[in-house]
Amino acid sequence: MRLSTEEQQILAGSRGEMLQRVMTTIVAYGEALEAERLIDITGMGHFVIPHALPGISPSLEMLDALITAGLKTAKPFTLDPVAPLDFKNWWLNRKQIDSLEYMYRTQKQYDKRMQALGLWNPEACTCTPYLPEVGNLPGRGDILAWSESACVVFANSVLGARSNRNGAIIDLLCNIAGKIPLSGFLTDEGRRATWRIEIKTDRLPPPQVLGAAVGKTVMADVPYIIGLDRFLGHGINSRTWDYLHELGTAAASTGAVGLFHVENITPEAIDYRTDLLTGEYKTVTIDDRTLRELTASYPIMWKDKNAASAKCFLGCPHLSLNQLQWWADKIHELLIKHGKKHLTVNTTICSAPQVLRKFIENRRGWEILSESGVRFSTACPMQVFDNNLSIDDAIITNSNKLRVYTHARFFPDNEIAEIMITGRIRRNR
Amino acid sequence: MLKFKGRSVLPGIVKGEALVTRRGFNTYASFFTSIHEQTGKAVCADTGNPELYGKNLANKIICLPGTAGSTSSGAVWQRLAKLKAAPRAMLFSQPIDPLAAGGLIVADIWAGKRIITVDQLGEAFLDAVEEGDLIEILASGLVTVYKNKQ
Repeated sequence: MRLSTEEQQILAGSRGEMLQRVMTTIVAYGEALEAERLIDITGMGHFVIPHALPGISPSLEMLDALITAGLKTAKPFTLDPVAPLDFKNWWLNRKQIDSLEYMYRTQKQYDKRMQALGLWNPEACTCTPYLPEVGNLPGRGDILAWSESACVVFANSVLGARSNRNGAIIDLLCNIAGKIPLSGFLTDEGRRATWRIEIKTDRLPPPQVLGAAVGKTVMADVPYIIGLDRFLGHGINSRTWDYLHELGTAAASTGAVGLFHVENITPEAIDYRTDLLTGEYKTVTIDDRTLRELTASYPIMWKDKNAASAKCFLGCPHLSLNQLQWWADKIHELLIKHGKKHLTVNTTICSAPQVLRKFIENRRGWEILSESGVRFSTACPMQVFDNNLSIDDAIITNSNKLRVYTHARFFPDNEIAEIMITGRIRRNR
Repeated sequence: MLKFKGRSVLPGIVKGEALVTRRGFNTYASFFTSIHEQTGKAVCADTGNPELYGKNLANKIICLPGTAGSTSSGAVWQRLAKLKAAPRAMLFSQPIDPLAAGGLIVADIWAGKRIITVDQLGEAFLDAVEEGDLIEILASGLVTVYKNKQ
């Protein structure tokens, strides 16, 4: 790999042993990815690990070594949702609480280290950092070293920024150096599509189902999706923003999609249209039958497959203000329809702290949901339940990502809303 | 005996038994229970991968096209190494993906645990290798597969 004079000097130890080690790691990363050179990062960071869990987070010793050497990220960063220590919002039993308290016993020390390394502010923790209420909004063409698969795919596809799917720790190290290997989605060639996917459904498909179908089909490749503008219109607006966020999250977690283009909607597809397709691309059609068969194929992982659902989690990824209001309106409508005042299923809805605060200020939607029994959290259900603690819980969710990583059963929005109210799951599913 | 030449990403010499997946290896889903246990085993917990689900991946040579799934998996390799439950080597048929590269390199440089890694072994490698085959890897990236039935 070709390195600048400054990069070579850092690699030789001119700015200390610790930055030398950081640079050694990034150069090895670049060589593995066959990058020709490193490139400067131009936007803030976003990292996948906000919590102190062995095997998931960097060790405190490693973070201390970086801090002691006086290192921090070149620009501030945001993090994924906070650790799930707001137990009252998660419908937990004593054993689960004790286990979580033990698992997250070093969380406060971890938080302090994140602040020392460049965390933007103590509330900058969500998987929707680019929402206007939060404010980590990269521009088109910005070079990023992000992790969190849902954020990478959104930044690439909808915002037109450029990031590879970096993993935990390497994200932090690249942002400390302020440099990332020029490879993959950072290059024009790496952003071209190798799949043409035609959507031939009768109506707009649930985004988390369509996303899963796309992810399962293309895995890590880049798809060019045709046919969604029939339902979503032209360009990006708040509706398409939310829809594509959910689609991308599901595509990233069921496959490894880091970038998708949607004809007449996403910025590069508007500018370059089918020129984004490579010379030899594959074509596939997704129709209503494809999606029905996909959801029917999901195994029920509950211990008692016929159990009544006990808990419901919405907001993986975190909900936007518009989505929160949609849920308030939906629940209000269904409570009236069924002559009920409260949900039957214990429900938690997750969103960014800044978004929840605004939702509460708006009053009406928040009052509807609170009075129906909904609890709110700024944490992430995956962090509570992607372990054996939840093995006895009959959890339902509208998140295909949560389904992939936990024992939760997946239902699209309209179907899960009925279950939340009535507690009944249709037997023929 | 079959020979395949790949590119050494993390070079080394090792022999071991093959486990094979022909779909994207979801690192986080595969190991998320193992990293919370201290049994010296790494039993694959990915229900979406019937080729590997329920099998012990510790000390095996994993043959795969590439990795998939959550970017949380970056620190998983370090943890597996600490628990002495890491695979012995990772053999990719395709060019290594950023997620796998970052995690394996960080484990190598920051935790002193080398999981020998070779990529670009080609589709023919994944077509030929089967679970239980004995595999020998050289630092040059040369991979020899001794069929289980031989």
